[in-house]
Amino acid sequence: MLIYVLRRLALMVFVLWGVTLAAFVISHALPADPAAAALGNNAREEQLQAFREKNGLDQPLVVQYGLYMGGLLRGDLGTSLRTQNSITADLRQFFPATLELTLGAVLFALVIGLPLGIVAALYHGRLPDLLARLFALLGGATPVYWLAILALGVFHERLGWLPGPGRLDAYSLAPPLHTGLVTVDALLAGDREVLVDALRHLILPGLVLGAFSAALLTRMTRSALLEVLSQDYIRTARAKGLRPGRVIWRHALRNAALPVLTVLGGLFGSLLTGAVLTETIFSWPGIGGYATTSAISLDFPAVVGVTLVAGLAYSIVNLLVDLAYAAFDPRISFS
Amino acid sequence: MHDAARAALTWSARTLTFALALGLTAASAQSGRQSTLVIGGDFSDLITLDPGVSYEFSGSLIAGNLYDTLVAYEGNDLQTLRPRLATSWKVTPTATGSRITFTLRDAKFSTGRPVTAADVVYSLNRVIALKTPSSFLLTDVANLKVGSVTAPSSRTVVMDLPKTANPNIVLALLTFNVGGVVDSAEAKAHEQNGDYGSGWLKDHSAGSGPFVLNRWDRSAQVALDANPQAFRRSASIRRVILRYMLESSVQQSALNSGEIDVAWDYTPDAFKAAQSNPRLQALRTGTFQLAYLGMNSAKGSPFEDPRVREAVRYAIDQDGIIRSLLQGLGRKTQTIIPIGLAGSNPATPYPYDPAKARALLQAAGKGGGFTVDFLVSTGACSGGVPCQDLAAKIQADLAKVGIKANIRQLVNAELLTAYRAQKAPLIQVGWSPDYPDADGNGTPLSDYNAKSLAWRNAWNNPQASKLAQAAAVETDQAKRAALYKQLTELMVKQGPYAILYQPYKPVVLSVNVAGFNRNANGDVQFEKVSKK
Repeated sequence: MLIYVLRRLALMVFVLWGVTLAAFVISHALPADPAAAALGNNAREEQLQAFREKNGLDQPLVVQYGLYMGGLLRGDLGTSLRTQNSITADLRQFFPATLELTLGAVLFALVIGLPLGIVAALYHGRLPDLLARLFALLGGATPVYWLAILALGVFHERLGWLPGPGRLDAYSLAPPLHTGLVTVDALLAGDREVLVDALRHLILPGLVLGAFSAALLTRMTRSALLEVLSQDYIRTARAKGLRPGRVIWRHALRNAALPVLTVLGGLFGSLLTGAVLTETIFSWPGIGGYATTSAISLDFPAVVGVTLVAGLAYSIVNLLVDLAYAAFDPRISFS
Repeated sequence: MHDAARAALTWSARTLTFALALGLTAASAQSGRQSTLVIGGDFSDLITLDPGVSYEFSGSLIAGNLYDTLVAYEGNDLQTLRPRLATSWKVTPTATGSRITFTLRDAKFSTGRPVTAADVVYSLNRVIALKTPSSFLLTDVANLKVGSVTAPSSRTVVMDLPKTANPNIVLALLTFNVGGVVDSAEAKAHEQNGDYGSGWLKDHSAGSGPFVLNRWDRSAQVALDANPQAFRRSASIRRVILRYMLESSVQQSALNSGEIDVAWDYTPDAFKAAQSNPRLQALRTGTFQLAYLGMNSAKGSPFEDPRVREAVRYAIDQDGIIRSLLQGLGRKTQTIIPIGLAGSNPATPYPYDPAKARALLQAAGKGGGFTVDFLVSTGACSGGVPCQDLAAKIQADLAKVGIKANIRQLVNAELLTAYRAQKAPLIQVGWSPDYPDADGNGTPLSDYNAKSLAWRNAWNNPQASKLAQAAAVETDQAKRAALYKQLTELMVKQGPYAILYQPYKPVVLSVNVAGFNRNANGDVQFEKVSKK
C-alpha cells in the first residue's frame, strides 16, 4: 500500500512537470507582448524595456524556462507580471475560496444526486424515476451562467431569501485570515455571525455549481444501482428475509459505490478548476477569476502557476479516489 | 423498498432544510448601514494602493481618498486648480526656467504625525527613484530630478523646473495620485530591500486623506474607514466598501436588492432601464476618453492619401453609433482634445455624408474601393459597448462607400502589440490622457517624435509636431489656446484618426445616496457622500 502510494506520488511529479512544460510553451507562443499588457496603452518604450529586463522577458525562451524551473525546485512559483506579487502568495489567497466553493458544490451534488439516483433505481420506470431522469437531463443541459443569473434573480433579488454575490455580507468584514476558508476562519475566531453569513453565501453558488454534478451523479447512481439490483446476491439477501432498507444500504449501494466514486472524484477535480463562470457571476474571489485575469493580461508565470496547482489538485483527488476503492471493495488491494 | 427510498430522501431533505433555514435567517450585520457606502463594480484592474505606483483607474480612485496632493480639482471643474495640502502657490520665472513655491497647511497624517515639507520632498523623490509606471510624469513631463524639489522650511516646498517643462502642466499632473503625499516616517519604517515601503503601501495606507485603508481582500473587496485626523473630514460616511462585481447583470441585481448603494459598471442597455426606475439615480458622468479609428498612413497603405482619411471621416455615422449602440452614453466630437479640457475644439466639420466620401475616394484614385484589415479588441470598448458590435457598425458604414474592412478580433494585449509595431492598417481603440491637460492628448496624438499614437499610425507631420511642442511649453493661457486651435484644426483635416465619440461613464445609485459625484478624471470624493 505504502509502496503503491509512493510510486503514484513519483509519477505525479512527472505529470506535473509535463503540465508546466505544456503551459509554459503554450503561453509563450502567443504573438503578444506581456510588458505592453502589464503597463498598458500609454506606457513608453523605455518603461517597456525596463519591465522586460526586470522580469527576464528579454532572455531566450529556454533560459526563461530554466530560470522558472530553477525557482520551482526551490518552491518559488515566480512573480506575477501583472501584480508584481509572489504567485505562491496569490494562489494561497485565491485557492481556498475555490476549494470552499467546490466542497459546497460536492456536498450539494451528493445530497441531491445520490438520493435521487437511489429513488430512481428503486422506482425504475415509474413516476419518481421519470422525474429524477428529467432532473438529470435538465441539470446536465442547463448552462451554468444562465442558472446562476436565474438563481440570483429569483432567490436573492425577488424573494430575498438568500444573499447575493460574494463570500460575505458587504457590511461585515472577513474574520482574521488563517486557512483562507472563511467558514473555518470564522469557527476559529468563534464568530458565529460570520460563520452563518459565510454558509448562507455558499448556498446559491454551491447549488449552481453543484447542479451539473448532481445531475451526473443521479444518472450514475441510478444505472449502477440498477445493475447491482439485478444480481443474484441481492435476490439471495432478499430471500433471506433481510429488511429492504438493509439490502439497499449494505449490499446494493456498497457495490454500486465504485463507479459513483469514480465520477465523484473526476467531478471534484473538474469543479476545482471549472468554477470560472460561477466565480465570475457570484463575484467569488477564487482561482477561476485569477486564472482568467492572468490569461487576459498575458501573465505567464501566474497562468503556469494556476495550471500547476490545478494539476496537483486533480492528481491528489485521483489518488484519493483510487485509495478509497480499497475501502469499499476488499477485493482491491494495492500491495 | 419504500423504506430505503424514504431514508434516502429524508437525509437529503434534512440537509436541504438546514441550508434553507440558514438562508432565511435574517441578515445579522445590519448595524452601520447608514454610515457605510457600498460600491459594486469591476475593480479587477487594481494592482496597488501605493499612490506613487498606482496607475490604474481603480487605484487612482481609491488613492485619491487615502492621500492628499498639493493642489487638486474640486468637483467637475477640471480647469481650476484648488488648494489641497498647499494653501497657496506661486510661479516665478528663474534664469533656467521657473520655480513653484508652495505653502503648506497645518495637516496631520492618519498616523498622527504632522504633514511637513520634508514629507512632500520624500514622496516625489520616491516616485522618481522607484521608476513606477507613472514616474515619467515627474521625470519626463515635469523634468524633475532628485534635488529639484526642496524644503527650505517645514511649511514651504520649492520646485525648480527647467525651461522644457510647463509649470501649468506640472501643477495639473500633481493633482494625479503620483503627487500624493506619504508619511515618510511610516514608509521608511516599512522599507524592504530599498523599495521605499512600496511593498507595504500596496495594501496599507499612510496618508492624510479623508480615509484610511482598513483592508484589501484581493478580488473580493476594499474597505476604507474614515480618518479622524483628516482635514477634509467625512461628514456622515464612516466606511466605504468597494466590492468586486464584474458583471453588469449582477450589479443590477445587487443594487435592486439594496445590497450595494452604487453600481460602477452598467451596460448602456441596463443604464437605459435604470433611467426610468424611480428608486435609482442614473448619472451620465463625463470622461476624457476618446474612441477612435487609427489609420496607418505609411507609404503604400491606402490611407497614405489624406483624401482617403477624410473619406473615412465622412463615411462614419457618428450619430447612429451614439444613438443606437451607446444609447446616448456618448458625445459627438471630432477633434483630438476631449471636451472639458482647455484647448478642446468643438468643431464638427464632418457630417455623415457617404456621397462626399465616395467622391473623395474617387479623387484619390480609389473609386473602386479597397480592402483593409480592421483590428478590433475582443473585449468592451469605451462606453461599455462590445467592441465587436461597434466594429460591425463601422464595417457596414465603410462598406457603403466601397471600403471593405476585414474585422480581425484580437485580445487587447495582442492588439496593442500589433499597434505598437505599426502593424495595424485600420484599428479601433481608445485613448485617455494621463493628466487633465490638453497636452495629454496633444503630444501623443500629433507628435511623431513622441513615439506614441502618431508614430503607431506611421503619420509624420513636422508642422503638427512643432505645434504640439510649442503648445506644451507655452505658459500664456491665451497663446496656448490659440496654438491648440491651430493644432486641432490641422489634425482634424490631416490626421490619421476618425474620432468616433467621447463616452460618458454610466454610474447608477440608489435614491438614498446624496453627494456622489464622479468627475471626468474618474475621481469621487467619498467624504462628500451621505446616505438618507
